Amino acid sequence: MGGYILRRIAFAIPTLVAVSIGIFLMVRLLPGDIIDILFGGDLSASEEVKDQAREQLGLNGSYPEQYWRWISGVLQGDFGFSLRNTEPVSNIILDALTVTIELVVLGLLIATVVGVPLGVLSAVKRDSGWDFVARVGGLVGLSIPSFWLATLLLLFTSRVFGWVPPLNYISPFDDPIGNLSQFILPAVSISVFTMAIVMRMVRATMLEVLGQDYVRTARAKGVDRSTVVSRHALRNALIPVVTILGFEIGVLIGGAAIIETIFGLPGIGYVLLQAIFGRDYPVIQAMTLMIAFTFIFANLLVDILYGILDPRISQG
Amino acid sequence: MSPRRAAREPAFATEGGGEVAAAWEAMPRRRLAALGKWRNPIGLAGAFIVVFNVLVALFGSQVWRLDPNELAYIRFEGPSWAHPMGTDELGRDTLARIIHGAQVSLQVGAISVSIAFLGGVLFGILAGYYKGVVDAVLMRLVDIMFSLPGIVLAIMIAGLLGPNRRNAMIAIGIVILPAFARVVRGAVLEVMGYPYTESARALGAGGLRIMLRHVIPNIGAPLLVLVSVYLSVAILAEAALSFLGLGTQPPEAAWGSMLSTARTYIDVTPWLSIFPGLAIMIVVLGFNLLGDGLRDVLDPRLGPHVGDVPVPAKK
Repeated sequence: MGGYILRRIAFAIPTLVAVSIGIFLMVRLLPGDIIDILFGGDLSASEEVKDQAREQLGLNGSYPEQYWRWISGVLQGDFGFSLRNTEPVSNIILDALTVTIELVVLGLLIATVVGVPLGVLSAVKRDSGWDFVARVGGLVGLSIPSFWLATLLLLFTSRVFGWVPPLNYISPFDDPIGNLSQFILPAVSISVFTMAIVMRMVRATMLEVLGQDYVRTARAKGVDRSTVVSRHALRNALIPVVTILGFEIGVLIGGAAIIETIFGLPGIGYVLLQAIFGRDYPVIQAMTLMIAFTFIFANLLVDILYGILDPRISQG
Repeated sequence: MSPRRAAREPAFATEGGGEVAAAWEAMPRRRLAALGKWRNPIGLAGAFIVVFNVLVALFGSQVWRLDPNELAYIRFEGPSWAHPMGTDELGRDTLARIIHGAQVSLQVGAISVSIAFLGGVLFGILAGYYKGVVDAVLMRLVDIMFSLPGIVLAIMIAGLLGPNRRNAMIAIGIVILPAFARVVRGAVLEVMGYPYTESARALGAGGLRIMLRHVIPNIGAPLLVLVSVYLSVAILAEAALSFLGLGTQPPEAAWGSMLSTARTYIDVTPWLSIFPGLAIMIVVLGFNLLGDGLRDVLDPRLGPHVGDVPVPAKK
């Protein structure tokens, strides 16, 4: 098991390095010189001033030199400074990561807590009215845009309960209840797509497992239905579901990036979008790197979890 | 390759004897069965929605002849006979704008999926045919692109290129390209294992001929399914980008940007927020249903899928 975890970590590191090179090149190779944009329209700016700005941004020297400067800073926790308010980017990252991770974890929690029982119900009561409702609901869940769902939820709570979530970010460390009331709608909005995927997946694997010999044997031995479903079938049906969670975390992070903007939550996506509109390159680089890091790390955790659940994998 | 990925791509990894022979035997019958299976209700419902959407995009503006950009009506009207979906904050007819949005979303879907299709087929065939170093390099590139969530990558590319529809289409095309490359590679690897490819090679056919005459015609089924599913992904992504202000720019009507504007006026009238969202959902649902149906009919080998995630193989 230990060797398996080490192998997975060893596999994640080169991917992370490659991603950092990809992000670095993308910011530089896409059309539009950063300096020209920063001094946009200011024709009086002399070459000297521009060179100075280049140096300040770490844009002098060859690409390998620039990359080395950037990445060695990153490894020491120094992401440079924001071009807009000269705040250290590392401070911005820390605050933003807290928000996004909370949102993604909540979303994942809601998706599995609702999706798994629905999938089981749908499989156990196959071809019943329940099954039909769950399946149609699943397809709708796959197709509904999260940002529209968020709007509808806001509309619903404000019209029916006369309640809108607080607009200014509340830290979970200051006021956990207030924080939760602020995060519940966005978390529900991003969870629906994943919920639909989990539901459909659990239904498919559950139907398959329920047809297996060992399930029939357990029933024949006299184990009652609900125990067979919860003890024998569900455990095995959930293993393949774990395999898609890593992918789904990516979907949730992407969903969070859009939803944060609607609810004014200062997460990674919100900060990234502001940085893109403001052409704040150090922040763009740092945020995309953090998103990739979070995603790769989450996948690593899922790989390890999968190895624990299915010992065949880690021994292979 | 991670163990999960291996589990996720059961059908594509077959290079051995038994399974290939079985698939080979099943092929002609599968083709014949396709016609009978068109009774598949899910696929038909999807096809109906898709056809309706295309008709609306092509002929909608001739049937409903109001100008989507004319500021000629009373503002914030609810649905009525004169304006079935009401009017917006500038007094423009919402139905006319929804119809224009259908054109936009279809254009974005078609162009960005074409970019992904052409690029993905090229890379996938190169990787699957030449294997070895070419395969390793291309698939590592694919892995790298998969390590950023798609929409984040799209936001970044579209944002850095500059916010407009052309760049949004390019961004979406690039983001979904790796998915095509990966599936095409798998399908190519499989076709390369079939006896007819071997025979062609034994008869002295060159690489180009094998690819054009034997490989490409035989990977059509998974490609068709992929196109349908990714049309829905592309349309959803364009709506999201436009919603964030990175796609189609106002005053031009697109579903995503209409929703974005409507949010400001949600206290005045909920109607503005309801119709564009419904339009997105129905069209995306249509392409998803069509993809599911096509998969059932054309490619049983692909097995059960959930969205674009193949469910691990039945053993």
